Parts: sequence; C-alpha cells; structure tokens
Amino acid sequence: MTTITSDPLELPELEDVEELSRADLVFYGVDHSGPSYEARVFVNNPKADAATERVLDHGYAGSFSVFGHNGCFGDEGHCLPDQRERDEFDLRAPHPLRPLTMTVIATEAVRRAFVEPAVSALTVTVVIVVPDDGFPKAGGSAARFDYVRLLTYEG
Amino acid sequence: MSTGTPRPQATSTPLRFRRSAARLTTGQVKNLRDGFQAMQGINDDRGYGYHAGIHGLPLPIGCDNAHGSDYFLPWHRAYLYFFERALRDQVPNAMLTWWDWRISPQRAARLPKPFVNKTVDRKPNPLASAGVAPLALQQGGNQVPAKTVREPGAPGAPALPSVQEVSDVLALSDFVDFSAQLEQLHNRVHGWVGGHMGQIAYAAFDPIFWAHHCMIDRLWRLWQLRHPGAGPPASILDEALPPFRMTVRGTLSVTALGYDYAVASASTQPPTP
Repeated sequence: MTTITSDPLELPELEDVEELSRADLVFYGVDHSGPSYEARVFVNNPKADAATERVLDHGYAGSFSVFGHNGCFGDEGHCLPDQRERDEFDLRAPHPLRPLTMTVIATEAVRRAFVEPAVSALTVTVVIVVPDDGFPKAGGSAARFDYVRLLTYEG
Repeated sequence: MSTGTPRPQATSTPLRFRRSAARLTTGQVKNLRDGFQAMQGINDDRGYGYHAGIHGLPLPIGCDNAHGSDYFLPWHRAYLYFFERALRDQVPNAMLTWWDWRISPQRAARLPKPFVNKTVDRKPNPLASAGVAPLALQQGGNQVPAKTVREPGAPGAPALPSVQEVSDVLALSDFVDFSAQLEQLHNRVHGWVGGHMGQIAYAAFDPIFWAHHCMIDRLWRLWQLRHPGAGPPASILDEALPPFRMTVRGTLSVTALGYDYAVASASTQPPTP
C-alpha cells in the first residue's frame, strides 16, 4: 500500500454550500505503466490507509482505478513516451503510455470540507491498493501522478 | 459508401439482440458456448486467439489508445462488433451476452452462471477459461498461466460498481464526462475479476471479458437513449479505430450495426413459405 497526501488546496469563497453543484478532484499525469490498482481518495484525512472505512465521515471522496500495463513487453525504449520524435506533421496516435488524467467526482466530500469550521483549505490523501490476485506485479511503486486540482461548480 | 460506414438495415434483416447472461435460454447458452468453442479451436485470424490478442499481447497492444481517451467506447464497440461477426461465422445464431455486474444490498457480487462452471457435459467450458496465444505468453515472459484464471474479489480488489454509481454515471450529460466515469467503473470490474482480466496484456483472453464489455457497450446505448443528440466530440468522429475498418462515427448507432440490447428475447422460427 502506498499513500500520497497533497499540499493544501485552497477552498474558494462560497456564500452558501448549497450553491456548490459539483466538485471534481482531477489528477494529472497519472502513471499507468505498472500494475492495475485502485486509488482511494480521502479529503482532510491524511491518516487514511487501506483499512479506513470508505464513508463520508472519514473524508472518503471516491476512487479512481488504473488498468495498468504491468510492465513493458517490448525492447529497450519501447515504453518510453519521451523517446518519440514529435512535430506538427506527426499523425500517429499518442504514445500508449502517455500519462492519464483521472477525475473523481467528489461533491459531497468537498461540501463537507466547506462546512467544517475554520477550514480554508483541504488536503487530498490518495491510498493506493494493488489487488493481491497472485499475479506477478511489474515495477516499483504502483502509482504516481504529477498534481491534483480541485474544480468546483455552482448553479 | 465510405470506409466502415454501416448501411441501414434492410427490412428483411431483423435486428439481433444481445441478452442478459442471467436470462439466456438453454439454447442461447449452447449457441454461445459452441461459438466460443469453435473459435478457440481456430489458430488463424478467424480464431479466438487472434481476436483476443488485438486488445493486448501479442504486440502491438491494440487497445492502447482506447483507454484513458475519448476513444474508449467507440473502439470497444468496434471490437465487440468484429468479434461477434467472427463468432457468428462459426455459429450463426450465437450472440454475445452482457454481464450485469452491478451490486446492491439485494444483488451480490458474482460472475454469471454460464461463465462459471469449469466443465459442461464433462468437457472444459469454453466460457470459463481459454488458452492464451503462445506468442502473447512468450512476449510476456511466460509469467502467467497458459489458460486464463480468475480471482474474483481477491484481497485489495476494488468493489464492483453499485446500482447507484451506474445510475449516477448515466445521468451525466456530457459524453467526455460520461465516458471517463464509465471507464472508471469498467476498470474496477477488471480489477475485481482479477487474474488475466486484471492485466491489459491478457484481459481479452478471458471469455468473461466479452460479457463485461457488452455491459459497458449497453450502458453507452442506454446513455444514448437518455441523452439524444449527445455524443463524442466532432473532432474525433471521422477518426479511424485501428485495427478495425470503422470510424468513430460508424460506431454511434448500434441498430445500424445490426444489433440492440434486451434483457431477454425469444422468437418463433420464420414461417416456411
């Protein structure tokens, strides 16, 4: 199990939490070269781990799952997106291992953060769980992402 | 007729229906089983290994740009279409079936019955397991069993999607949003089944893959009915879906592709003239 906690994300000004119609936590640069895994996402609960109950009271916001490549099956360099020469005339599909963007719709968990007294920011804790299905797992750490963004919508 | 654009069905060609795996008649299960059995016995490009290998190994991994992108639903619809054509080449009345994997307090997590029993009439059940193509095994370093296995609900596996979660996703009105969230639910099902299904490289060799993806395709169909006019971004409609002879636009109508979804169906034989 791997746990990653973000730096605090500042909450926007909001006169009435009921105006918040949707809140997304968007994870950019998600690596999917390793084994498949589930990323459980908690708000304002940096102590969350794989045993933490997935309920709002513990800050559970939702999850995203990665259908991982579980290693490289080609020769050296086959799975390195940066080794491709790209320009405006390159009509090939993007490299298969380009990092992904994952969105967790986290409206209820973020609403709760808004109503907690004296909270002006929230942290996002991601608990990575790799299923133990007896199959070999390639690579080191199962999960990696570049950054997370909080997007809120009103109306 | 442009490449891959399906023609409207002639009135003499009735639509075919993919039915729930939980509601198949004995004869429909037999057709499905016989079709898979026949395909698994063919080693050329009509066979099971060829079609399953398009998704993952052997290289190239054909689904690579169909995951984590707006091509997820169109590409897999095309994939099912061509697989089903190959299936019906072997058993003309066979149709793919969908596995309703949604869970709720009243609906336990389980695989559909036709895909579970390891043997049928003392022979291996071709819906329970299939051989992995030898070249796929070799390119993967011979690290997985040569016949597909499952570990449903293994420790750490994600939960199957709930009825409520599916309902929430169907309510999303934007295609890109809907597709991304549905793909997340799809990933969890792969993870819940485990074994070969949990790995992109081998997932399509497990016969349950096809029933899982029919459920995904069916949910897209239901979403289309609920959100008429909504669909993939215009910028990708004329994009090809390699290796299939079809564009994104060509996948938009299941009825133009000759099929639809039903919970169950039965019909009489056509009257003899």
